[in-house]
Amino acid sequence: MSDPKEKKNENSVNRSEKIGVYVCYCGGNISDHVDVEKVRDAAEKMPGVVVARTNSFMCSDLGQDLITQDLKDGLIDRVVVASCAPSLHESTFRGAITRANGNPYIYDHANIREHVSWIMHGEKATFKAEKLVGAAVGKAGLLEKLDPIQVNSRKHVTVIGGGIAGLKAALSAADFGLNVVLIEKTPFLGGNAAMLDKIAPFGEKASDLISQLAKSVLEHKNITVKTHCRLVGFDGYIGKFDLSVKTVFTDPSDHEQHPGHFVPFEGVETDTVVEEIIETGAVILATGFKSYRPDHGEYGFGKHKEVITLPDLIKQVGKVEGSSTLELDGRKIRSIAMIHCVGSRQIPGIHKEDENGYLNEYCSRTCCSSVLFMANKIREQFPDTNIYDFYRDIRTYGRGQEDLYDKASENRVVFFRFDATESPQVIPSSDSDYPLQVTVKDGLTFNEEIEVPVDLVVLATGMEAGDISDIVSMMKLPVGTDKFLQEVHPKLAPVEMAVSGVFLAGTCQAPMTIGEACNGAAAAAAKAASLLGKGLVELDPYVAEVDTALCDGTGACVDACLADGALAMVDGKALVTPALCLGCGACVAVCPSRAIDLKGWSLKQYEAMVDMIVAE
Amino acid sequence: MESPDKEKKILILATDSCAYPGADSVGQAHSSYPANTYILRVRAPVMFPEQFYLDCFKKGISGIIIMSCGEECPYEGAYKALATRIDAVYQLMKKQDLDIRRLRLTAICTVCNRAFLKEVNLMNDLVQEIGLPEMD
Repeated sequence: MSDPKEKKNENSVNRSEKIGVYVCYCGGNISDHVDVEKVRDAAEKMPGVVVARTNSFMCSDLGQDLITQDLKDGLIDRVVVASCAPSLHESTFRGAITRANGNPYIYDHANIREHVSWIMHGEKATFKAEKLVGAAVGKAGLLEKLDPIQVNSRKHVTVIGGGIAGLKAALSAADFGLNVVLIEKTPFLGGNAAMLDKIAPFGEKASDLISQLAKSVLEHKNITVKTHCRLVGFDGYIGKFDLSVKTVFTDPSDHEQHPGHFVPFEGVETDTVVEEIIETGAVILATGFKSYRPDHGEYGFGKHKEVITLPDLIKQVGKVEGSSTLELDGRKIRSIAMIHCVGSRQIPGIHKEDENGYLNEYCSRTCCSSVLFMANKIREQFPDTNIYDFYRDIRTYGRGQEDLYDKASENRVVFFRFDATESPQVIPSSDSDYPLQVTVKDGLTFNEEIEVPVDLVVLATGMEAGDISDIVSMMKLPVGTDKFLQEVHPKLAPVEMAVSGVFLAGTCQAPMTIGEACNGAAAAAAKAASLLGKGLVELDPYVAEVDTALCDGTGACVDACLADGALAMVDGKALVTPALCLGCGACVAVCPSRAIDLKGWSLKQYEAMVDMIVAE
Repeated sequence: MESPDKEKKILILATDSCAYPGADSVGQAHSSYPANTYILRVRAPVMFPEQFYLDCFKKGISGIIIMSCGEECPYEGAYKALATRIDAVYQLMKKQDLDIRRLRLTAICTVCNRAFLKEVNLMNDLVQEIGLPEMD
């Protein structure tokens, strides 16, 4: 990390702007591939630059302090930061400038991580980084102080999905004082959590948890719950979204709909479909997951009725009451094989792809704990039933979860470890006393071939992204390679989406536990509340402005304008109405005298950027 | 590495709401592509007049890819106006004996990693083949 050298930048003599350049190592993410000190040396010689510094993490307090101190000292009046994508830290650095009583718009950003160090390395990466910093410096020299536009926003949030994350998000947002509409496509609240009996690792009843949350939601004066309700349209922008929703009270496939007509043996039919617009300020997505359904024949699933999934087992065991012997479907269950990682951690070339050539390569994160929780429950409630656990790895992460593993050992659950290339085989048993047997090469006993006769095989199926392609398409949401909704950044913006004003809660984002889903939901609600709580949202002031001295009054800009009323001719000169201007710049391109330009993104600035890129 | 003065530079005008995050997504996936690419973030490429493109070539830019939002442009009508303008630029390029393949209008979304890489690689192949633009 270097300090600026003492010598003066001769290229900056006789220039009024004082640009500071701050180049980030990003803890090696950039500096492992780009010679950051060389970039700094080059930046220091660029026109208008008076100081160039580096730091391990420019986004850290120490890094930001470099900027604020230089501003407070009057050393600089414009800032360029070369670091990661601007979507991550543009607001961070603008905030730093504001804290130093500077105008946040005297700032430009060079993306030398996503656009340089993560795609190339060596000299060419350093050269490209220098050029991108140069382009930012070129633009920065022409930056002016701007004031943000303030737009009234609605103190209202819409939560999509009535599972546990949706309930928690709705309740948290309402407690923050926002009005909330929760829409749920089914008649029920609780989602996938309602399919559970007791919840790992501590054993709370899922029904108690959901009932308690749902009661609070249904009784909350700030929350309106709409079940049987689907999103069918999406419009607007942060602070002012209009959501079209359709509520269908009966299944339209039941019979042809004829509102007002007499239906024999039923009565006069009323409107069963209601369409309405929800005016809202932000959206929290809590659309949940779907449980992996094994292929026919995968570990004998579908071929043998004794092979079931973990969710099936939870449901069936939950119904057994007052007996110390486990009987399912009238059969006494003496031994159970539980197989981990079914539909998760799939490996190309080993596991079978789905019909679209896709594999679930991720870990579903919840199944190991859930399997061990059920194994302990069965061993304790039905001591005559033996459990054989076939695993690749045990991933009981998090508070209280490793205890499940220890407890399973105490409960004499028998473990076998298999390699992904040699998964256990489920075949009819050679022992006529048992319907099935599981064979495995056991890594715990130096690859000894083991045959285990069992009454039941339970597949620990993982989580898959829910089918919300209609919502993804409608709201233009980014989706990860794992098909779950993708946040802006897993650490820095974990519940925000790239679409401003849209937040994530729960398992629509990734496989997670109920506790984690509730944490995410509360975070999303807090984000929405901080955004909308003031009743106004500050938007960037990137609108057109006219230099009336240059305006010849041709009216070409008015003809090209894409927003009704944003531009008009007044007394022979073009006049902008900032509140209506979209900031697209369509007017800029057509002005013959270059009298109109876009604040913060001007044509002159782009020309300066290109000049710096081509400069030798 | 090609020396800086001989580098056949590709300018990418990437929209703030679609293609620029798309380029970020390519970086997040650590997918490599040619180093001679310089991505500028733009709100809407409809702001650039015809002369901007010609000036870029005159200054020594070998290829320009406009990565727009296409029909999903957040500014209603902007994409149509842009397409019309690019047609006009092509006419001017022809008059100046500039290979019109040096300028390409595409649509890249926030997760269009493959399309992004394809466009960049195709333009790079082209500029390596036809070299720096020659203009009076």
